Amino acid sequence: MKIIEVKNLVYSYDNKKMAANDISFEIEKGSYTTIIGHNGSGKSTLAKLMAGLLEAKSGEILIDGIKLNEENIQSIRNKMAIVFQNPDNQFIGSTVKDDIAFGLENHQVPGNQMEAIILEYAHKIGLDAFMDKEPSNLSGGQKQRVAIAGALAMGPDIIIFDEATSMLDPKGKRDIKKIMSDLHKEKNITIISITHDIEEVLQADNCIVMNAGKILMIDKPSKIFEKSEELRKVGLEVPFSALVKEALKKEGLKVKSDDLEGMVKELWQLHSNH
Amino acid sequence: MAITFKSLSYIYDKGTPFAHVALDKIDLSLEEGKVTALIGETGSGKSTLVEHLNALLLPSEGELEILDYKMVAGHKTKGLKMLRKKVGLVFQFSEYQLFEETILKDVAFGPMNFGVTPEEAQKKAVKALKLVGISEDLFNNSPLDLSGGQKRRVAIAGILAIEPDIIVLDEPTAGLDPKGAQDIISLFMKINRQYGKTIIIVSHDNDMVYNYADEVVLMSKGHVVTKKETVEFFDDDALLDEYGILRPQIVMFKKMLKDIGFKLKGENRTLEDLSKTIVKEVRR
Repeated sequence: MKIIEVKNLVYSYDNKKMAANDISFEIEKGSYTTIIGHNGSGKSTLAKLMAGLLEAKSGEILIDGIKLNEENIQSIRNKMAIVFQNPDNQFIGSTVKDDIAFGLENHQVPGNQMEAIILEYAHKIGLDAFMDKEPSNLSGGQKQRVAIAGALAMGPDIIIFDEATSMLDPKGKRDIKKIMSDLHKEKNITIISITHDIEEVLQADNCIVMNAGKILMIDKPSKIFEKSEELRKVGLEVPFSALVKEALKKEGLKVKSDDLEGMVKELWQLHSNH
Repeated sequence: MAITFKSLSYIYDKGTPFAHVALDKIDLSLEEGKVTALIGETGSGKSTLVEHLNALLLPSEGELEILDYKMVAGHKTKGLKMLRKKVGLVFQFSEYQLFEETILKDVAFGPMNFGVTPEEAQKKAVKALKLVGISEDLFNNSPLDLSGGQKRRVAIAGILAIEPDIIVLDEPTAGLDPKGAQDIISLFMKINRQYGKTIIIVSHDNDMVYNYADEVVLMSKGHVVTKKETVEFFDDDALLDEYGILRPQIVMFKKMLKDIGFKLKGENRTLEDLSKTIVKEVRR
């Protein structure tokens, strides 16, 4: 089942440069999609359009079959949550608990049910020990967990992550990526993640590559990364294994495998046969 | 030695119940003209250490020599302003500190602050902006209208315009896209190679560290664990495992090749060199 359908979407900030230039695609319910592209390629614009934070000049977006427009925006926002890049810019409450409660209050969840909902989601994300702490005193990774718990407590079908791990240290990145993968697998939440992290792209089901406001490719991550030349042309990183393959080819040695383990075995085979 | 820490400690909220030892008796020397990477997990003391380098923090105990300056705990040091001209500190997410109405004014602010004339400051700003690759037609725009990567470069130009001898960068590539990150790193390599500036980079990106740093300083829990030449550092399996340090991808690949039986003679620091070595061993 399709949960998001985007049709001929057009958007421009200044009526000159197209940030979204006739974009169409569909996203399956429960799937995990990453959007990659260099800065300025239009990927954040696309996320903001899907979340109803920007209004398209033309074209349409259907969320769970409902057309995104001014009338429906409130009911659509109930289905969707966003986690932003900078963990410091998204806190309101003076404690972790208050912060998660804020969204629930906005959705008129009765006070007597709130506590249970908050504790449930805080536990899921591993925040039990932090409930009475001030969000500003947490590490970057912990802050993003609070943001995710706040998003989850609203019971969304879709969560959009806008470079949610890019400001975190390696451990924070790993933790948040694990949580995203778990949400996708265990809770069947549709995940859309804008990222620069190749490892994250590889853990998702699908990848959309953006360039100059258009979709350059949309495919499984393994297929996308086969096209290393095209990726490089639009300023994107190529996985290390593809770089190894290329470097060996330059020295006149062609290997068939795409992953490092396979390559190492292949090379050793060649070594032993020689 | 450009920088020497002698038994330096730094204690936040010293003498209160909240006292926290962030640096514990640091002994460390860094040479002039090198690129040194400072690594270690969040909370290990890296940022506290670099904040001493231009006297934003002063030692609680011990002493620190930087170029001709000496800071001793408990003693007042004269001329800290001039030290801040010689050591430029680029903070994490430095683009948040842009504030002037035009890019040119923002970059000229630093040199003006150190007493040069407005004309001279402007000249230095233009030079620094050209160095970081901001095109001239943008000079009179607001810095806030730039992309993230461009903003970061303007913030860096603000430090370069002061013409420091030592440049300290706290996570200079965090949050940038791959191309933006590569541009920033290439810029600092150029500044090191062409102008001989000493560069100290705090980083979590070990691939970048492996590619560019001359030496690595590892910190943990307020201590300096070790200082080693980069390749030697990442060859030390016992050390990497003890401190849970992520291996750069090429180091990981070399380890896989060695584990299966390859000898891999030589340093093989780049993929190009490594491929040549592999081909040599395969065809022998």
